[in-house]
Amino acid sequence: MEVVLHLPVVPNVELVAAKAVEALGGALGMSQTRVEAACVAIVEACLNAMEHGGGEVVVRLAGENSSGRPRLVIEVEDHGGGFDPAKAPRKTVAQVLGCASKRGWGLTLIRELMDDVQIRSRPGQTLVRMCKYVEGGP
Amino acid sequence: MNEEQIHLTADVLTNGVGLITAAGYINNEGGQAIADAAGDLMERGCGTLLIDLEGTRIINSIGVSILLEIMEKLLEEKGRLAFCSLTPTISKTFEIMGLVQYATIYSDQQAARADLEGHASG
Repeated sequence: MEVVLHLPVVPNVELVAAKAVEALGGALGMSQTRVEAACVAIVEACLNAMEHGGGEVVVRLAGENSSGRPRLVIEVEDHGGGFDPAKAPRKTVAQVLGCASKRGWGLTLIRELMDDVQIRSRPGQTLVRMCKYVEGGP
Repeated sequence: MNEEQIHLTADVLTNGVGLITAAGYINNEGGQAIADAAGDLMERGCGTLLIDLEGTRIINSIGVSILLEIMEKLLEEKGRLAFCSLTPTISKTFEIMGLVQYATIYSDQQAARADLEGHASG
């Protein structure tokens, strides 16, 4: 079970990716709460890719069961300048209150809402690979 | 999943409480629409704002960052911000982004109004 999307940079296109998560996660038997968490994560990954990437965003979704625990695997790929994931700070509310910009929460949300997240980035390609197990906590 | 367009209502309740109901995608546009409604209610004398998200199932961090701005404005004016009817994922997102440290979360509008309209001062 696999879905591949090539998303142009147009307003709210990230919702197309969220719809795909909803369909695939539901088909895998994932709870509504876990599907919604994965939806927020893919929305954030797509927004980051559109903001920092160099155009079209490629999204791949697949149901996997290789380790005996069924899971939804999501990859979001852009072709922008890249960044060092190790240097991407984990945001806290204390950092943003009183500051003009309150943005920059995307990676923090992705890491907190998904079960496993791997980021590979170099100039010309950033790949965010994340997974959500079908069963687990909320 | 909701449609892209956000649907809002805004009402002045008793005792200085303003109620905003928001149903739809809270992105930059949805967040700004809520902020505009909040600003209007504050100008009309509401020191406490209750935002009911019963019809909202998807949000993004840009929209929530605008909610943080609303919270900051209310805190500056010694006001109070509350939310109700959050999905578990929106509740967790608010927890991650720190909104729950400064805003009160209620299970539903009835519980929120029972508390806020009983105790708020406008």
